[in-house]
Amino acid sequence: MKKGIHRAGHITLAHGNGGRHMRALITEIFAHHLGNAALDTQCDAATLTFPQPLAEEQLLFTTDGFTVDPLEFPGGDIGSLAIHGTVNDLAVSGAIPLYFSLNAFIEEGLAIAQLERIVISMARAAAACGVKVVTGDTKVVRRGEGSGLYLATSAIGIKRSSLTLAMSQIKSGDVIIISGSIGDHGTAVMLAREAFGLQGALQSDATSVQPLTDALLKFSGLRFMRDPTRGGLATVLHEIHHATSLGAHLKQDAIPVRDEVASVCEILGYDPLYLACEGRVVAVIDKHQASAALDALRALPDGRNAAIIGEIASALPYVMLETPLGGQRIIEELEDEPLPRIC
Amino acid sequence: MSTADAKLWLDRINALKITETIKIMNVCGGHERALNQAGLRTLLPSKIELIPGPGCPVCICPEEAIAMAMNIALNESAIVVTFGDMMRVPINAAKAEPRSLEQARACGGDIRPIASPIEARLIALQHPNQQVLFFMAGFETTTAPTAALITEGIPDNLLLLLAARRTWPAVAHLLSDERPGFDALIAPGHVSAVMGSDEWRFVADQHQLPVAVAGFDAASLLAAIYSVITQKQRGKAELENCYPSVVTTAGNRIAQQLIEQTMNVVDSRWRGIGTIPASGYALNKSACAHDAHIHFSQYAINNDQNHHMPPGCDCAQVVLGKCYPNQCRLYGSACTPSTPIGPCMVSDEGACRIWWANGLHKTLAHKQA
Repeated sequence: MKKGIHRAGHITLAHGNGGRHMRALITEIFAHHLGNAALDTQCDAATLTFPQPLAEEQLLFTTDGFTVDPLEFPGGDIGSLAIHGTVNDLAVSGAIPLYFSLNAFIEEGLAIAQLERIVISMARAAAACGVKVVTGDTKVVRRGEGSGLYLATSAIGIKRSSLTLAMSQIKSGDVIIISGSIGDHGTAVMLAREAFGLQGALQSDATSVQPLTDALLKFSGLRFMRDPTRGGLATVLHEIHHATSLGAHLKQDAIPVRDEVASVCEILGYDPLYLACEGRVVAVIDKHQASAALDALRALPDGRNAAIIGEIASALPYVMLETPLGGQRIIEELEDEPLPRIC
Repeated sequence: MSTADAKLWLDRINALKITETIKIMNVCGGHERALNQAGLRTLLPSKIELIPGPGCPVCICPEEAIAMAMNIALNESAIVVTFGDMMRVPINAAKAEPRSLEQARACGGDIRPIASPIEARLIALQHPNQQVLFFMAGFETTTAPTAALITEGIPDNLLLLLAARRTWPAVAHLLSDERPGFDALIAPGHVSAVMGSDEWRFVADQHQLPVAVAGFDAASLLAAIYSVITQKQRGKAELENCYPSVVTTAGNRIAQQLIEQTMNVVDSRWRGIGTIPASGYALNKSACAHDAHIHFSQYAINNDQNHHMPPGCDCAQVVLGKCYPNQCRLYGSACTPSTPIGPCMVSDEGACRIWWANGLHKTLAHKQA
């Protein structure tokens, strides 16, 4: 009788020992769902093919690691997050992502059914993004040495545009666009964790931003794109400031923030400008093309709430937020992990 | 209230003829935060000075209470829970010793940040075989839910280390100074919601200073600023409630009764200030089984020197409204949110932290101080 993986069971150290249980885990869970022509679990390395001969500077390579608590949250899970997050790093660099490597560090005790749900979700996200997981590895760590599941991904993509996208392209007067509301992912995960006794069903914004970046790449005046993940929108603008010495002038009432996000921030004393997004793009673009680019984003399902939120300003030595009343606030760099306040 | 309301109040203030500088103290750290977030100092006439006051419970929590919580966490098998912004408050300690709850956690103490007393109860219920110590620093706003925690069936294994303080005695203490350093007061909205706006009537009646209770949006704050300026111009000090949607004259009687049932009013230490009569709460007899001061009395530290701030740190003056955060010589140099020296640089309610987070160490600072 064929002895396969026990789907009602839990990950044990035997699933990492190189033997029969590990083979079952890889073939019946990972390869079964993520399988494709290039993924051969018998080989130690994958052979890649590319649609056309590659010219210089066309291949882009990125890597990312994923930890999230809880592993599954409204709007996503660590599996889809790993695909989308890595796709997004290539997408904002102007590339089409193609091939993925995947490392899974699984904690002893994780329910195999949950692991399979996450791998299925990853497979779905990969198929939707047109990417293939072509090589991978699994490790099992002892109970207490991990947080259920950590994923590490690397990906290769091909640059699809002749535009040079870099912070060095940014000029004073360029316009800053955000593709949707900020802080949804950070807040959704906090709520899903029932952190600080808060509950809610807010959806994470986690998704591929490639449709958005594809639309933006049509504009010759596009200077730079970034997905505002950890550290949020404020951190992207600080990175621009550090790299270019250019400041930014933001208009608070133009920045889209969902009511749920604003409420959670109000209760805990957080600022949505620093909360993570996983499906948004910050774009800096020539002011003459900004409104056309905004229209192009708004025509897409994930860009409906896109907004022009401010401009790059050489006269400002910092990131400045103009409040709805017309007052001014300097937006500082994020210091430490935010902690909720007393009252 | 809306942005339109705020604009209206701002226009009214700008239409006033203000010839003399008026110094307005806001008691509450939440007010300081809200007015910075709205950029009010960049919008108001320069004759109006807004001074942050003593209303940050993290900043005034005495060192000995923090040290006691740290020592219990490090030497007992208890889980210590505390409001998030207490985690990083630095205390004076010997080199190589942990200087904050966060550092004590890194040294092996089981110390967890929470956002409400309900979480302390949940953690105690989840760990029935372990003692859970709730180190509670806060004003009346958090004292009331802590009292409710006791009356609504407190788990046997939950102990309370109270550093609860009353707000108005601190303001009375400031006003006992011949030159308190301010001409009018914005009274805290949340504290007034619990205790009633009448608690602040003494400011007008006994000290002839204009006083207004404000909420936490720009419109309510501007309404209160307008109120105290016009009171001063009329030469008549009164108490005005500019947060009537939430605050009543008598406050929340149920909340007050919960506090009265479980706690006594006691003389208490304020970090950087010293002992203020009748300015704090201690658990009364009915709750003494849960009093960490009794249960862990061996960890109590009673040192009069312990209300001092670290050397070189002006947090004491900042808390008293005697100097602005950026007038402290450590502000922005040795003392930053990553390397806080004084408690005011730690909490989101602390004046130094709020000023830093809103960029007041940069170019806007000279305009605002």
